[in-house]
Amino acid sequence: MANGSLRPTVRIAGHAIHPIVIPVPIVCFVAALLTDILYWGTARMMWADFSAWFVTIGLIFGVIAAIIGLIDFFGDRDIRDLPQARFHMTANVVVLILALLNTLVHSRDAWTSVVPGGLILSTLVVVILAFSGWMGWSMVRNQGIVTDTRARERERATMTGARP
Amino acid sequence: MSAPIRRSRSPWPTLACASALLLAACGDDGGGDPMKQIGANPTLPEPKQYLFPPIHVPSMTGWPEGQSPAVSQDLKIEALATGLQHPRSLYVLPNGDILVSESKAPNPAQPRRPKDLVMGWVEKMATSAGDTGPSNRITLLRENENGHGTALRTVFIDHLNSPFGVTLVGNDLYVAATDAVLRYPYTDGETEMKDPGTTLAQLPGGPIDHHWTKTLLASPDGGRLYVGVGSNSNITENGMEAEQSRAAVLEIDRSSGHSRIYADGLRNPTGLAWEPKTGMLWAVVNERDELGPDLVPDYLTSVKDGGFYGWPYSYYGQHVDPRVMPQRPDLVAQAIPPDYALSSHVAPLGLAFYDAEGLPDRYRGGVFVSEHGSWNRKVLNGYKVVFIPFRDGHPDGAPQDVVTGFLDSHDDARGRPVGVAIDKSGALLIADDVGNTVWRVSAAQQVSEGR
Repeated sequence: MANGSLRPTVRIAGHAIHPIVIPVPIVCFVAALLTDILYWGTARMMWADFSAWFVTIGLIFGVIAAIIGLIDFFGDRDIRDLPQARFHMTANVVVLILALLNTLVHSRDAWTSVVPGGLILSTLVVVILAFSGWMGWSMVRNQGIVTDTRARERERATMTGARP
Repeated sequence: MSAPIRRSRSPWPTLACASALLLAACGDDGGGDPMKQIGANPTLPEPKQYLFPPIHVPSMTGWPEGQSPAVSQDLKIEALATGLQHPRSLYVLPNGDILVSESKAPNPAQPRRPKDLVMGWVEKMATSAGDTGPSNRITLLRENENGHGTALRTVFIDHLNSPFGVTLVGNDLYVAATDAVLRYPYTDGETEMKDPGTTLAQLPGGPIDHHWTKTLLASPDGGRLYVGVGSNSNITENGMEAEQSRAAVLEIDRSSGHSRIYADGLRNPTGLAWEPKTGMLWAVVNERDELGPDLVPDYLTSVKDGGFYGWPYSYYGQHVDPRVMPQRPDLVAQAIPPDYALSSHVAPLGLAFYDAEGLPDRYRGGVFVSEHGSWNRKVLNGYKVVFIPFRDGHPDGAPQDVVTGFLDSHDDARGRPVGVAIDKSGALLIADDVGNTVWRVSAAQQVSEGR
């Protein structure tokens, strides 16, 4: 398994798109957990409304990230063979299923849109995201998935004969 | 490295199971028999909460040429006026002229959460088909002497803010727009209001105006006005601060314009009337949604001064709603169970006691209730006008179907009944806001002539 040879299929101007999109759902799902906790503590509908937007927007961008991620996964045999990639993908698909359930639970009215089901789902989503995000980063860090091929080429040009 | 092993680690079987579970969670929930939820002691199942609450919004088709709702053999029904713009409520003036409130919902508030966008679309589907013309006005109809059709039809008051209730006290005509009670000087026989009117009292209106119809009724002595004001949410999801003076019957002093809460905890009291024998105030009330196809039954009830009827904290007395926080056990303990359940999601929007002559004797002293019809249960319920007999000032017996056939054989809605009123000759008038028609139901034979 050659370090630095793995190229995501979906790129624009050499940049992998998947890592550009994933911060949106990550921020949204973490924020939803925080606003769920605030609603749990205060019973003020404003926080539950924030949560509903966060889980919905997180889900939409999560689906976009997932589509790109799946293309990257199936588009490169070597990426497909990485155990981290499989864990990363499985965990993120679970996150999206839970986020879909969470969006539906958050579309209920008032207290039971958050307590207890929404709060539990928001917590699970963040815990699994932490795990899968760590897997994703480890792929870039340790397995050499190239998230910016141009930068990589510039790097190679300056580092003579470092070609793996 | 072998392909079969890799396939066995594939996440897809797990995902398929998870999706199946997700679908199972929204499985069949057609609900039970509505007849078990009629009368003083309705059967109340345990509340359920859904990922996808059951809904069934029928297509709104309008009436094909020459078609009309169905009535029993000793009654006849005919269109008094067609081509109206979303007629919602009816008021009969002393000279027999009929005022029709043609009204559309006010502009929706800014969406507060993603669900508001979806519900806006559902509500658009559930309102009348193809009425894009001018509305928000009161149209005057004058019946022909022979009772067939109208001799005159004029726009009586135009450019109102989503009007609903109308009532006359002496020469003062009151109109309940969605945000205020307006007063106009009326002279007998007038067909077009020239006076711009004045505001008697403000009512809870926008920016959020979830249940926007304001029902209006004058006290028998004319001193006070009663206004039915609906809640500003299904179940407090727009915040308690949005519920000031809502889910209540307000009493307005006619001389000063001061108002007070006469009774509250009534989620959406869309029809108000005086019971003729006892003089008690009665209301039809639309109860909360999304607890299941058989919760919560809408109802007909007497309304006591100072009475609390549960919303939002509880329903049917002490059944606590889990969605309301903070809870109020002190108020739940006081909640009065309503008198007569009409079954769940029928959406009663009008009521009229029958104290006239002209219709068969069985209707004397009882009440007509229009059921606009359900959208939040899979098996449709309502979509008819029923009659509930009264004895000694209280409901006595099961509701009888009076006007049916608003749904066709495909469960498409040709019409939906809203306001009901009794005309000068004792015929029953029904505003149909999908068929855009006012229907008139009279006796098939002239029974009144034999009296």
